Amino acid sequence: MEAFAQSIEGGVVYTWVTSIFWLWPLMETLHFIGLSLLLGGLIVIDARMAGFFKGVNIAATHKLLPWVFIGFGINLITGVLFFFGDPMRYAINWGFQVKMILVVVAGLNALWFWIRLNKPMHAWEPHGDTPAEAKVVAWISLISWTGVLLFGRLIPYVGTG
Amino acid sequence: MFEWLENTSVAIWVGESLWAYPFMLSLHVIGLAIVVGILSMIDFKLLGGFRGIKVDSMLPLLKFAWIGFLINAVSGVFLFTSQASYFATSTVFLIKLGCIFIGAILTKVMQNQLVAAGAAGNAEGVSMKGLAVVSLLLWLVAITAGRLTAYI
Repeated sequence: MEAFAQSIEGGVVYTWVTSIFWLWPLMETLHFIGLSLLLGGLIVIDARMAGFFKGVNIAATHKLLPWVFIGFGINLITGVLFFFGDPMRYAINWGFQVKMILVVVAGLNALWFWIRLNKPMHAWEPHGDTPAEAKVVAWISLISWTGVLLFGRLIPYVGTG
Repeated sequence: MFEWLENTSVAIWVGESLWAYPFMLSLHVIGLAIVVGILSMIDFKLLGGFRGIKVDSMLPLLKFAWIGFLINAVSGVFLFTSQASYFATSTVFLIKLGCIFIGAILTKVMQNQLVAAGAAGNAEGVSMKGLAVVSLLLWLVAITAGRLTAYI
């Protein structure tokens, strides 16, 4: 990780990101907008899948997914640029490391949903309770993304080595 | 007045404790995601999205959005106290606060209209596209101005 970070420093992207003074605050603002879209969509989808808000048709909650992906896309792009703009800081920051692990956990959890629950979901009662497995997936998603926000916000304050 | 606030024991705790300020910031971003996340999804619905989801079925989500709002009001006050005289004179901070104030009132107005229409059995017939756009813009400016308080 550190070797990779060192190889970035001084490169084309690094020079670009660090040379435009307003780019960093702009990317931070976009990162916050992205997280709002990502979490906004997922809160509705996961809360319904955890058994709350039964008035909402469960299969129809997936209409919100494009916003989740747009939010994720914005944050992936801005996030990669943050890393390229200050690689040595992020590479050794444990807040960043825990955040990345939680993003992977959330991704694997989404994969679990896609493999095991995506098709059966359409047979569930649209306004009924959800199976235990769905509730587990929903809570893992909510907790891991909340953790992503928590540790992401701690990056500027926690140990860099 | 703001200097007095900065010298209260709460403000000094937030400013000097190793964990209080980052912890409040973390709560503030979680609350932000809840408030802006849920409200933007409801605004997108009002603008004609998410076919298959009824507008009034999303209304219970507003309770959760108000919980997020409360989290951010409380964490925001703590964060404010530690640098009160700076924030009180910061233009971008005052813009942020103005947007949140108007945004909260607008949310309450929209909520009341939707509840009334739902009670009359006409939630689907409500047209609030203009208010939904204003709501989205207010939160967009609030986030942008909020982020810029760290720079300007």
